[in-house]
Amino acid sequence: RGLGVAAGPPSTRQLREAEEGAPVFQYAGKAARRKDRVFVWGFSYSGALGVPSFVKPDAGWKKPRRIQPTPYRLETEEKISSAACGYGFTLLASNTRDITKVWGMGLNKDSQLGFQRTRRDQTKGYEYVLEPSPIPLPLEKPQQTRVLQVSCGRAHSLVLTDSEGVFTMGNNSYGQCGRKVVEDEIYSGSHLIHQLKEFDSRVVQVVCGQDHSLFRTKKGTVYACGWGADGQTGLGHYNITSVPTKLHGDIAGVNIVQVSSYGDCCLAVSDEGDVFGWGNSEYLQLASVTETTQVNVPRHLPFKIGKIKEAACGGTGNLVLTEEGNVFVWGYGILGKGPNLIETAVPEMIPPSLFGWSDFSPDIRVAHVRCGLSQFAALTNRGELFVWGKNLRGCLGTGRMEDQYFPWRVTVPGEVVDVACGIDHMVSMVSSF
Amino acid sequence: LNAAPGRPPRQQIRFLPAPGGGGAVELVAARVPVLADHPLVRGPRFRKLKIGAGHRLDVKASGVFVLGIGHGNKLLTDRYNCHLTKVYTVGGRFGKATDDFSDTGNLVEKTTFDHITREKLERILAVIQGTNQKALLMYSNIDMKTQEAYELAVKGLIRPMGKSPPIITAVRCLQFALPEFQLEIHCLHETQQYLRKMVHEIGLELKSSAVCTQVRRIRDGVFTVDDALPRTQWNLQSIQEAIRNCQLKVETELEKTL
Repeated sequence: RGLGVAAGPPSTRQLREAEEGAPVFQYAGKAARRKDRVFVWGFSYSGALGVPSFVKPDAGWKKPRRIQPTPYRLETEEKISSAACGYGFTLLASNTRDITKVWGMGLNKDSQLGFQRTRRDQTKGYEYVLEPSPIPLPLEKPQQTRVLQVSCGRAHSLVLTDSEGVFTMGNNSYGQCGRKVVEDEIYSGSHLIHQLKEFDSRVVQVVCGQDHSLFRTKKGTVYACGWGADGQTGLGHYNITSVPTKLHGDIAGVNIVQVSSYGDCCLAVSDEGDVFGWGNSEYLQLASVTETTQVNVPRHLPFKIGKIKEAACGGTGNLVLTEEGNVFVWGYGILGKGPNLIETAVPEMIPPSLFGWSDFSPDIRVAHVRCGLSQFAALTNRGELFVWGKNLRGCLGTGRMEDQYFPWRVTVPGEVVDVACGIDHMVSMVSSF
Repeated sequence: LNAAPGRPPRQQIRFLPAPGGGGAVELVAARVPVLADHPLVRGPRFRKLKIGAGHRLDVKASGVFVLGIGHGNKLLTDRYNCHLTKVYTVGGRFGKATDDFSDTGNLVEKTTFDHITREKLERILAVIQGTNQKALLMYSNIDMKTQEAYELAVKGLIRPMGKSPPIITAVRCLQFALPEFQLEIHCLHETQQYLRKMVHEIGLELKSSAVCTQVRRIRDGVFTVDDALPRTQWNLQSIQEAIRNCQLKVETELEKTL
């Protein structure tokens, strides 16, 4: 130590030299990639959230968590490209060429998640799957086929592949799996996964309603099978259909670009921006064209709200998104325009200022719309997720248990890419910052 | 102020003996100024001025600072209860982190920042706006289930009308030139140190670090930088003129909000 130098507060020059000599840390390089994450929230006791410690705590101090009110990150092995929520179960699918492409969790009483062999007894299957478990699909070329999309209904699920058609599993008591109804079939612990290949062209979208299935092909035609007592199969009768059959009516010859269904009503959007509906109309979903409560043939819904880009069909209410980015709701229930609007037969627009549009940020637009049974979700182009509707067992993810009467932001640490809504839980695919 | 002509002294009517010769003393009414009003008796009209300050401004920050003089102090409390947003220009610099979040503090860490792009910054700003929007609705203490809550939310008029932690209503990136950047922030109930902390947190979110180089308030309710008097104009005439110009604006602002 230099004894001739007086100690004292460091001079400016010393501070500057110390600063310049300090080491520089690097947390993220130029090639830092955004990671893809999956967030889940809602009712967890069915196992649908895929976090076993919520149902069976693995440490002594943890308590079982019945409801996860805010988004919780789910660790997955692969990047999940498509997710679907059914009635108490969830399917996650990845676009990979590996052997395991689809994972399922939640209720498995009707083998809607395939056969999950128990560890103790090789012949029995699990009835509740608490963790994302791989679903073995009988693929011919397992290392080449890719899974494009999954969809879940009340007790059945559909998996769409790019070259091997559609795989269906689960309850078939109404023919919703596309195979002949077998009397007194026991669905629990069943190994049967049916493959559907006979369509006029490649299937590009599969949608599950409550007990029926819809298939949209590349040519723009729609096929349906399953329960038809509300006319949701759209085939002109109210019976069960066990083989996917082409729909006619107002959509014959029309190129359909999107189909949507969750309960007993169905909506289809054509490439020209028209919307067609069929199925249950007890809640005024199709009341703009007909007074009957069941419509079994697709009917064109003449709404003068502009070209429609996307439609989402819920249990009692419907949602469409127009080309300008406006959101219209109609039907029954909490529609998103305050507690006074309970039902309407004509679409009402939700003001864009509720989605964050203002003079300060005028380029915010809604990019996608999704529906659960009594909840609605909207994704903006900035990656924000807005939810509203009935907050059944915390499924909205707002952190509160009350119903939400107008669109409310869900805080997710990342940009939301896609969301799947179920009855009492939701799954979202998020890209991190 | 004391040099300005004050009000004329009060006049009174007194009965004074008429100037005149001896004989009968008659009383003639005459208007005579009251002695008590004489300036030499009363003294200077203004000895002290009551000046009150509006929302606080830091030592290291600059910008519009609202003062109330005399009777204007009563308007200050009304303006405080209006809870209007204030607009700041905040300048930041990537690459450094200090203990008091500004560039004059002690260095804590230096980091790289070449991976930061304007797009990433705007994404972070969008998230900040989103979370603060939620806080805005939550602290406004309105029951979300009512129709009027919905209508206010549509118009964007929901605001906390009582005490609340700092809330940012809007953020926008004005300039971005690595390592410097500038943001325009509209906020409520904030302190300048909170804004500096926010710059630091933005740096952390972008996996780097940032310090705040400049905080400047450009708007406080209706008063903008154009209305404000710079240092060279801190004299009586400019102040009086400014007060006269702003009177109408302040009144309308208070009426509209309260």
